[in-house]
Amino acid sequence: MSSVYVLHGLRPWLIQRISAVYMALFVVYIVVTLAMAGDTGYQQWHDWLFHPVNVVAVGLFVIALLLHAWIGMRDIILDYVHNTLLRMVAFTLVIVVLISSGLWSAKLLLLSVAM
Amino acid sequence: MKFRIYRYNPDADKKPYMQDFELADPEPGMMLLAALLKIKDTIDESLSFRRSCGEGVCGSDGMNINGINGLACVTPLASLKQPIEIRPLPGLPVVRDLIVDMDQFWQNYRDVKPYLIVNDPMPEVELPQTPQQREQLDGLYECILCACCSTQCPSFWWNPDKYLGPAALLQASRFIEDSRDQATEERLAALEGPFKLFRCHSIMNCVQVCPKGLNPTRAINNIKKMMVKRSL
Repeated sequence: MSSVYVLHGLRPWLIQRISAVYMALFVVYIVVTLAMAGDTGYQQWHDWLFHPVNVVAVGLFVIALLLHAWIGMRDIILDYVHNTLLRMVAFTLVIVVLISSGLWSAKLLLLSVAM
Repeated sequence: MKFRIYRYNPDADKKPYMQDFELADPEPGMMLLAALLKIKDTIDESLSFRRSCGEGVCGSDGMNINGINGLACVTPLASLKQPIEIRPLPGLPVVRDLIVDMDQFWQNYRDVKPYLIVNDPMPEVELPQTPQQREQLDGLYECILCACCSTQCPSFWWNPDKYLGPAALLQASRFIEDSRDQATEERLAALEGPFKLFRCHSIMNCVQVCPKGLNPTRAINNIKKMMVKRSL
């Protein structure tokens, strides 16, 4: 059973906290960036995202968000879903949604770099 | 003074019900336990609850009072909104009326090995501590194991057999912090994993209800911090 509790005990707890701090800083960065932006539009957005610092920052944000979401959903499922089969289904659904969101985000980021 | 009290006698009742009682002119400064005893003496002798010392030391009369766990013997009647609704501690099986089956609670307490583990040969005299080392145990050793905290904790309600609960974890901390104990590594290792310790989401119900004013959430966080330090 323990293999389904991906990441185990202390590690997810730590990752949850570190990812929360990173996401909070990232949100501040985004808000400040938007507030200081003059013209907004596709070209400006694309130039912003094309900047290597921002590609890395957004990429890290996506990773932090996915890990944070996984740990949060895992905690809710461990707390409330006690039937083994239902729990497996719930875990699988969450993992599928999160991994596909991750792949989709990776595709967008890589395309923005390639363009 | 109006009371609504949870009644359940598994031999006679199909399911639990709430019974209303009215007590004429309570004495000033009366505690809830005294009122319950008066109801038992004068109205219904079948009303069942645990109590012993009557002064917040033994921890026998933990119950759910107007939705919040506490010890009846140190809860002044004057502080309670009427009708005073009294139920058994939530999350544990009811034996009868306000008496719950504490087996799971004691099992979790046993699980943290609540005793000093010393591997060195025992000295002929006592194991000394400096005053500073002794201070580390303040806020931990005072626990009377009344179960008010663990049975107010949703994580304990959902997984009582897997999550140890605030009372047992406070005791785990009490022995992890003890300078004389030599099993710190084993104790920390035993708490690893998604359930035993890490079902705590720091909602602090335990801190809110502890009749001794202790802070299990802080004790749990100290264990987590120690685990982080060891893992680095």
